Amino acid sequence: MHSTLKRLLLAAALAALSCAPALAQEYVIGSLQDLSGPTADVGKPYGDGIRDGARYINESGMLGQAKVKLIAVDYAYNAQQALAAYKKFTSQDKILALQGWGTQDTEALTQFVARDKVPCISASYSAHLTEGSKAPYNFFVAADYSTQIRGALKYFKDNWKEQRAPKLALVYPNHPYGLAPIPAAKDYAKELGFELVGEENVDLKAMDATAQLLRLQKAAPDFVWIGGTTQSTAVVLKDAQKMGFKTRFFTNIWGSDENLPPLAGSAADGVVSLQTAVSYGQDVPGMKAIEKLTGGQPQMTHYIRAFASMLVMAEAIKLAQAKGPVTGETLKAALESLRDYSPLGLTPPISYFPEDHRPNMSVMLYTFENGKMKLLATQTLERKKEWLGK
Amino acid sequence: MSAPCGLFFTSYAQESALFPSRFLKASMALFFVALVVLPPWMNSYHVSVLCLINIAVIGAVSLNLLTGSCGQISLGHGAFVGVGAYTAGVLAAKGVPFLLALPASGLLAALAGMLFGLPSLRLKGIYLAISTLAAQLILEYVFLHWESVTGGSNGLAVMPPEIFGYAFDNDLKMFYLTLAAASLCALGAANVLRSRLGRAFVSIRDHYLSAEIVGVSLFGYKLRAFGLSSFLAGVSGALWAHYTMFLSPEQFGIGLSISYLAMIIIGGMGRVAGAVYGAVFITVLPEALNALSASAEAWMPGMTSNLMALKGGVFGLALILFLLFEPEGLAHRWRLIKAYWKLYPFAH
Repeated sequence: MHSTLKRLLLAAALAALSCAPALAQEYVIGSLQDLSGPTADVGKPYGDGIRDGARYINESGMLGQAKVKLIAVDYAYNAQQALAAYKKFTSQDKILALQGWGTQDTEALTQFVARDKVPCISASYSAHLTEGSKAPYNFFVAADYSTQIRGALKYFKDNWKEQRAPKLALVYPNHPYGLAPIPAAKDYAKELGFELVGEENVDLKAMDATAQLLRLQKAAPDFVWIGGTTQSTAVVLKDAQKMGFKTRFFTNIWGSDENLPPLAGSAADGVVSLQTAVSYGQDVPGMKAIEKLTGGQPQMTHYIRAFASMLVMAEAIKLAQAKGPVTGETLKAALESLRDYSPLGLTPPISYFPEDHRPNMSVMLYTFENGKMKLLATQTLERKKEWLGK
Repeated sequence: MSAPCGLFFTSYAQESALFPSRFLKASMALFFVALVVLPPWMNSYHVSVLCLINIAVIGAVSLNLLTGSCGQISLGHGAFVGVGAYTAGVLAAKGVPFLLALPASGLLAALAGMLFGLPSLRLKGIYLAISTLAAQLILEYVFLHWESVTGGSNGLAVMPPEIFGYAFDNDLKMFYLTLAAASLCALGAANVLRSRLGRAFVSIRDHYLSAEIVGVSLFGYKLRAFGLSSFLAGVSGALWAHYTMFLSPEQFGIGLSISYLAMIIIGGMGRVAGAVYGAVFITVLPEALNALSASAEAWMPGMTSNLMALKGGVFGLALILFLLFEPEGLAHRWRLIKAYWKLYPFAH
């Protein structure tokens, strides 16, 4: 009798123990952030967005009883530190998925995440990461750099009123990030009937761009693409203003943001910033949640994109959860089954396919007016097969 | 009668032995055995940090040979590492066996190093530093724009190495491979320093005019220093390529060159052990700071991001403190500690 009672108690204890983790299911997400390296100016708001996204998922009960546990590591935009952090994530923290950051870590880890089956959503938007066959576990929530520039060119061409061909010039740094969308830009500009009148290199750390702009001024371009970061864009814009440029400047996702007006002053007015998320204060459902989490403190568009990135990851976890145990493989399959998922309206709807990890073909064109970002248009392109990975 | 107390050399060979005392030999053997035996019990994070240390050790030893021993400052070492890495990546893609590709990567890096070392006949000190900085910029440009070979901004994927069909496809296997390479490189560099070549390097570093007067061909030996150092840098790059399995031009920027310089300054210039200590210190420092900030989160929630943002500053501070208080590096400090215990309780 006594031993039966003991056995019963033991069985009950074992049952309770085995149930306990199921009740308090926790999905560990690793986050690589640059808080002390060369991209910390945008890395910090992006990291805040990731952290607040995790808070929102847990507080809103988006995953039911389950929670996400975020483990952030500052890798200072260094491939070696990213690798070490990733090893810590996979061996010690047993992460389910990774929220990556820039080119250095995302590209250095592409083969590792594929081998270890760890889905990675990052903020490095190079087109070659969108090919499911080459980077099967890499995802991102923004249109890739090439799609962004193609979208802007399409918008400018559609709104071009003059009879002659619009003249385009490209200004970018001699840097992997700067060079990434250039072949796509040249090809598509030619296809649309732009005349490429100049190409100049301005370094990311440039203090002056007069020499390059003098050459461009002679070519009198109608549109000038700036493919740098906010600081180098500000240098180009201020020099162009001094020289009396009459042209429309447009920049990619890291080339201008809410920091541009304080850096470039009135030279920022009229510049078109290509983004893939709403700006703070826009009327979409997700903004209410963000305003609540941040106490009404304005956040950069990078923060909002990071927040959306966490929502996309959580939605995929939810889909995978419904089908059974969530693993890296099932999470990847769930991500690839997303169709027109809107992360509370914060970005254009997102769909991934097994061979095609382009989240969408939409770019949002913002323009600066009196120091504020104002939505000009959202341009959506056709999901062409020949553009995949290029 | 027992052996004499302390180090008491009676021949030149004894003095220049790599491990002059039996105690040192035994402790080094024990350390090596521990290095070989312990990793299977470690998790893959710790093993991966050890792999990174091994690769950094080769890079630091190679720069120490050039800068610490021969006095030729190089700000282009990161790019020479890159030449080795890309060579390994390209050769692996062409199906060249790893055992051939590894020395080939070293050789091509050595060629690049010697080519950019040519101005060293005319240039010294800060002038040479700028000329090697030019090498860094030129090579970075080549990595980025020679797309058909390096993949340009898209990068280059590399597979794990294979030796006679045995694939080194996890951290533990890569650890043994990199440990073997690092040990061979460190021993090789230590032996070079004991040879005629090494003595010529040191004489050039200490006073180039005197060296020339006693018959040291400055140009020949400087070029050899560049060649040998770049060879080891190339080997380090090849291992890095196979370990990370992906190469992009950003990995071999000026930051890498500076980090190798920091390693030899913190470790101790001109000594192989110094390069090893420096490589360990610089590789482990960010990991230690990360661990510290993660544990601080428990009692200071929300402080993690602020603490992590201090990392860059801590790195700079460590460098300045070493320059101020321990300019001869960790190797010198270690000698002082050993001497203290040897003489204890008598200070002199």
